[in-house]
Amino acid sequence: MSWPDWIVLALTLLGMIAYGLYKGRTSRDLDGYFLSNRMVPWYMVLLGIMGTQASAVTFLSAPGQAYTDGMRFVQYYFGLPLAMIVLCISFVPVFRRLKIYTAYEYLEQRFDLRTRALTSGLFLLQRGLSTGISIAAPSIILSSLLGWNILWANIMMGGLLIIYTVMGGAKAVAYTQQLQMIIIFGGMTIAGFMVIHRLPAGVGLSDVLHIGGKAGKLNIVTTGIRPNGGGFDWNDRYNLFSGIIGGFFLALSYFGTDQSQVGRYLTARSLTESRLGLLLNGLVKVPMQFLILLLGVLVFAFYQFNREPVFFNQSQLDLLAHSKYKDSLVWLTRQYEAAETSRLAAAPSIAANAVTPADRSRAAARLLAAEQQKVGYKATVRRWLDDKAVGGDSNDTNYIFLRFVTDYLPIGLVGLLIAVIVLAAWGSIAATLNSLSSCTIVDFHRRFSSRPMSTEKEYQLSRLYTLLWGVFCIAMAQLAYNIGNSLIEAVNVLGSMFYGVILGIFLVAFYRKKTGGKAVFISAVIVEAAVILFTILSRQGIVKLSFLWFNVVGAVGVVLFSELLQPFMKRKAV
Amino acid sequence: MDQEPEEKVPLFKKWSRWYVLVAGFLLLNILLFYFLTKHFS
Repeated sequence: MSWPDWIVLALTLLGMIAYGLYKGRTSRDLDGYFLSNRMVPWYMVLLGIMGTQASAVTFLSAPGQAYTDGMRFVQYYFGLPLAMIVLCISFVPVFRRLKIYTAYEYLEQRFDLRTRALTSGLFLLQRGLSTGISIAAPSIILSSLLGWNILWANIMMGGLLIIYTVMGGAKAVAYTQQLQMIIIFGGMTIAGFMVIHRLPAGVGLSDVLHIGGKAGKLNIVTTGIRPNGGGFDWNDRYNLFSGIIGGFFLALSYFGTDQSQVGRYLTARSLTESRLGLLLNGLVKVPMQFLILLLGVLVFAFYQFNREPVFFNQSQLDLLAHSKYKDSLVWLTRQYEAAETSRLAAAPSIAANAVTPADRSRAAARLLAAEQQKVGYKATVRRWLDDKAVGGDSNDTNYIFLRFVTDYLPIGLVGLLIAVIVLAAWGSIAATLNSLSSCTIVDFHRRFSSRPMSTEKEYQLSRLYTLLWGVFCIAMAQLAYNIGNSLIEAVNVLGSMFYGVILGIFLVAFYRKKTGGKAVFISAVIVEAAVILFTILSRQGIVKLSFLWFNVVGAVGVVLFSELLQPFMKRKAV
Repeated sequence: MDQEPEEKVPLFKKWSRWYVLVAGFLLLNILLFYFLTKHFS
């Protein structure tokens, strides 16, 4: 990275820390530290919700996902707007009325202490581990592409934000998320314009869509039904049905029961402003994700007219160059480069001769016929990397967009786009650290402490817990790097293992007023064990069920089991 | 338990109108995406 890029990156990050410290001054009590004294306006709630959900991997991975698998990933978000409606009707009014700090406090009022402790404990376990991965994943990508030391990358990605998060709490998180989202949207918009600007003369957005469509990248809506009457594919991750149903349960669980999100809309000035933030999120999330994925299709079209690397992650090619495949790699690279040279010589004339929509469609088909030649070479590289003797990472998806940025964007803009990735990580991680601290102090320390604490002591302890969780997450990130990809995958699955059950507990609390704490607690334990078993069987290929459906199984399972158990329980009337 | 005061719903008379807007906009998005998928495939 050039020195002007370093200056842009450093100024953006230091500016963000200074802004967080300046805006984060608040009252020295839990209301100020965790709820910003409930003074946050609706537009900051909206940007906070979006900033918490969108992590660095969202912006790194989504364009690469569209590049390789097409835009069907957008269906994953189809259930989100519906979940926002249910939250505004049922969850938010109750949380606001009770004036709680954490969502899990409500469970003690509705059920009992053990249900609250179980749910909050599951949240701390799952979030604590997955936040380490949220730091590690983009750090590994940046360190691979830019040659950075992984420890320093982890500290930049997950350490610097601790300064303003510890000092300013939820208020600092809200103000920095607002600024972060503006920089992120600005940076991604500029990146989109730059891709179009770098296409050959006469090639526009319409041609890009034709190229993407012919290559199967515009598979935005898919049904998941196998061709020739093969029935519904339950193992298909992203389709209309898994997106609406599985995505609905996932979004309801994430936004309704995950403290990192609940903590954002509890800071709003009023119930109206909480609702408005959530509903506007329901309006803008799907189009926003569509545009991020479209960026991947733009980059795909760009590489139809420009030399594409045989593998985007150069560090993996370097690994092969020092393996038993080094001679084969030299031969393959020569063949690949020759094929690229002849393909690129023909590409501009094919595009230039396309005048009518029918011409464009034919031109796109001819370009993609040449593209097919590349697929074989790339598959060979992936096969070599999968060889246990090499021990490489054959998944290139996360490197596509950033490689394009570093290879083709002008000096200064590279620094800005790297800053966008880092800021996306900061927004998400800062909100999580704040929520981990609030659950630790409110649901455990204060709840189980026999001695009453002063307001100042609670405030100081909250800052200490934020710091400790920050250090823990960086340590987890470092551990994830040392252990490798298997842990990253395992912890990603961890989230879908717990979300459904936690949502089930809340659904019983809200909608089954006659069900008591004992029935729901036993049901949660049984269903959680079943979901863990499902996950293990699914990973071994015995059960064919995509992870989105685990959320449905967990939530529906807890509701049904508690209904069955309740008649056998002695309980007090609610 | 303190009740939050009822506030005026922004833009519309009732929150239910907001819910219809959000659900309707989702449906519109899905239809548009379906059209794009079919047209460019």
